[in-house]
This record gives sequence, C-alpha cells and structure tokens, in this order.
Amino acid sequence: MRSDPKRYIVLQIVKWLAYALLIAVCFFAETSGSYVKPLLLIPAALCISSHTGEIQSAAVGTVCGLLLDIACGKLLGYNAVWLVICCVAVSLLHNYYLREKLLSMLILTVICTALQGYLDFVFYYAIWGHDDVALVYTHYLLPSGIMTVIASIPLYFLIGAINRRCGSHRTNELEKTVIRNNY
Amino acid sequence: MENFWKSTKCRVILCILALLTGVMIYALSTGGYTISTVGLFKTIAAPFQYASNAISERVEYTLRLYRNAEIHYEQNKALREEIAELNRELADYEQTKEELEKLRGFVGIKEEHEDFTLSAPCDVVGYITNDPFHAFMINGGTRDGIDLYDPVVTDQGLVGVITEVGTDTATVTTLLSPDISVAAYCATTTDRGVVSGTVALSMDGLTRMQYLDQNTALRENKVILTTGENGMFPRGYVIGYVRSIENDDSGMTAYAVLTPAADLTNLDKVVVVTDFDGKAIKNDALTRKEAADAQ
Repeated sequence: MRSDPKRYIVLQIVKWLAYALLIAVCFFAETSGSYVKPLLLIPAALCISSHTGEIQSAAVGTVCGLLLDIACGKLLGYNAVWLVICCVAVSLLHNYYLREKLLSMLILTVICTALQGYLDFVFYYAIWGHDDVALVYTHYLLPSGIMTVIASIPLYFLIGAINRRCGSHRTNELEKTVIRNNY
Repeated sequence: MENFWKSTKCRVILCILALLTGVMIYALSTGGYTISTVGLFKTIAAPFQYASNAISERVEYTLRLYRNAEIHYEQNKALREEIAELNRELADYEQTKEELEKLRGFVGIKEEHEDFTLSAPCDVVGYITNDPFHAFMINGGTRDGIDLYDPVVTDQGLVGVITEVGTDTATVTTLLSPDISVAAYCATTTDRGVVSGTVALSMDGLTRMQYLDQNTALRENKVILTTGENGMFPRGYVIGYVRSIENDDSGMTAYAVLTPAADLTNLDKVVVVTDFDGKAIKNDALTRKEAADAQ
C-alpha cells in the first residue's frame, strides 16, 4: 500500500473522515430521545483504538470522552480522562498481546463499560447518599451498559470494514514475532 | 512493551492526561457556567441535535402507531384510510393550533403573574443522556438574559431550575432531582413542607413534599404551590398535585407523593423566569460569579 504514497495518504484521510463521521453519528444518537440509551461513544473509541497507534488512540479517547461528558451532562474531562487511559490500554494490548478478534473486543468493552458505570454510580449517585440509589443502577446504568456492549458488535464490524477498505491493517508485535520465527 | 514506558509516546499521552485533568479542574472552578468553547460547540451542535431528535421522535411515533395498529388492525382497517386522509388535512391545522395554544399559555403566565420577567419560549434541545431525573438542555442562555438558578416553568407548573448556563444553551435540573429543594405549601390546608425528589419516585415521574405533620390535612388532588420564601422561586406558582400521603421512614413526619403539574418527562417548550418580586438568589449568584471572575 505504501508503495503509492499519494494513494496511501488519501486513504488515511478517508479513514479518519469516516471515523469522525461515525463519532458524530454516535454523539447525536446518544443525545436523541428521552429513553435509556447505549453509550455508543465508548465502543466506538475502543474499536478505533484497537486499529491505531497509542497517540492516535489517546486523541480519539480525548474527543469521544469530551463528547460523552457533554452528552451525559457530566463535569467536562471526567469521562475523557478514563477513556484516554482505556483507549491507550486497548491500543497497547492489541499491539503487543491481542489479535483483532470480536471476543477480545467484547471483553475489553465489558471491562471499560463496567468501569464507566461504576465510576458514574459512585461519583454521581452513591456518594451523595440519596435513598434507593440502587434503582439508578438497575434501571439506568445496567441496561445502558448491556446495550453498550451489544452495540459494540456492529461497531466492531463497521470499523473493521472501514479499516479494510482503507487498507490499513496494523501488524502487531505478536504477528511480527510469528513471522520472524517462521522465517 | 517496556520500550513504550520510556518512549516519547508515553510522555505525550501523560501530557494529554494532565491537560484533561486541568480542563476538568477548570470546569469545576467555573461553578456551573459553561466553558466558552463548550458553549460554542453546543451552539453548533444544537441544529444537528434537533435533526436527530426529530428522527428519533418520528421513529418512536411510527413504532407506537405500528403497535396500536396491530391491536386494532381488524377493527380499524376500513376506517384507517379515511382517518389518514383526514389526519393529513388536519395535521397542519393541529400543529399550528398546538403551537398557538402553547404560546397562549406562556402569555397567560405573564397575565397571571405581572411581576415575572420571562425569557422567550425556549425549545428543549434534548434530554441529558440516561439521567434518572430527566434533566434537559434548552436553547436559551446568558444572551437571552438567563442566569444560574433561574426557575423554569410551563403554563402548567414549575419545571425546575437552571443549573448550568452558557451563552446560547442551558441545562435544567427538574423537580424530580433530590438536588433541588423547593419550599411549598397547600393553599387550602396551609400545610407547609419542602418539595425534593427521590431516586425511586423519579422512576415514575413523581416527586415528594416532605416534613409534613403526621396529622396533616393534605389529601389527594390538593394543589401544592411555591412559598417563595427563600427568594429562589416565585410565590404561588403551581408545583403539582397530591397523589398520596405516606409516613416517613423515621415515623416522625409524613410526606406527600406529588404528581408534577408539568409532564417533566415529555417537554418540548419551556420559559425561564429571569426576574420576579422577591428574587434574592440572583444577586447572590452574580456575586459569586463576579468573585470567581475577579480571582
């Protein structure tokens, strides 16, 4: 692919524009209607991070985290900080230890969504000592978390398709080692 | 992997994290006033949110129609086409009428409460994602004379208060939230208490009036009004109607479960009371803002 630098650059631009559009769609879907909804920005950020380097994934985590703060009416930067950490961790894991598989992405989404739900529950509800605070968990955070994990499946395939179309498969350290050992 | 911790990449990521923490601390220090960049973003995003909300409403409407149609399909089959035709003709008329009724209602507020200074009617841009207390964003801000802690109302009753404000947008926390306390009374029984939400009641769109005497004379359907005592809310505005009387866990007092007069879970237009007789909190809020600016 890199033998034609111009084509490579164009494909990279197309890829990032597609990512930006996807993030925008996730944000607007999250802010529409008054029902419990999945936090689409979390799996979107994680799936994109699994295909990119650490710096790019930190940038994606920042943007998605800040948008999540605005959509959920949280303190600006609150979601961004932990999402950056999660995105960089996902990028590093995919670079050194994991292969691009739906199951591994699902497990990572479950961990990150559970972390987000836990932090949200503690800092925005439990810490204030409201009565019946467990209802927030059972009626809002848990359904939203389950929907988020389910929504990560189509997002995984969609982002994978964008990557394949733009010909930007990343060979991770694990694959490099296998190739080195074979030759 | 060891190389990553010593690399420039790692330092850049740490810088990003430090920057975000700084943003978070700065946002915290603004005390409810939206950061200008975010305010600008919200202004730009508002039309898109309108569009996505419109699509969402349309989908919900279609799904509801489908469910009802399935139940009554056989009975209504013959009549549906005729109704659809009539509906199409009536749609424009109804929409215009509804809009007119809402605006007339807002004019009615001004007629009933001459001391009120009202903002222009604000559209509900969208509800805050997964908020159990149905907080929402409106398309009015400091540019429209709206400030922190201004009461938000409809012609039916009190809705809540402004808890975050930017130039063109503001966030409203509703009566369902436990973070809001409104001094209230019943005009007919003179019972007094404090209206504040709970997590459990907010699930059903209800709130409660607490600290009532155990032998309270309050009964179902009694109207609860604001006392206006702390200067945060105007006096005599309808909060809601008594649904039931319950005993507090402590057994010392009773509380009334209230149905808010305005349907807080399904709002599309509200007005903000920017000034009224006896308003005190605005000056306090401004003092705090000025002090924060001076720092």
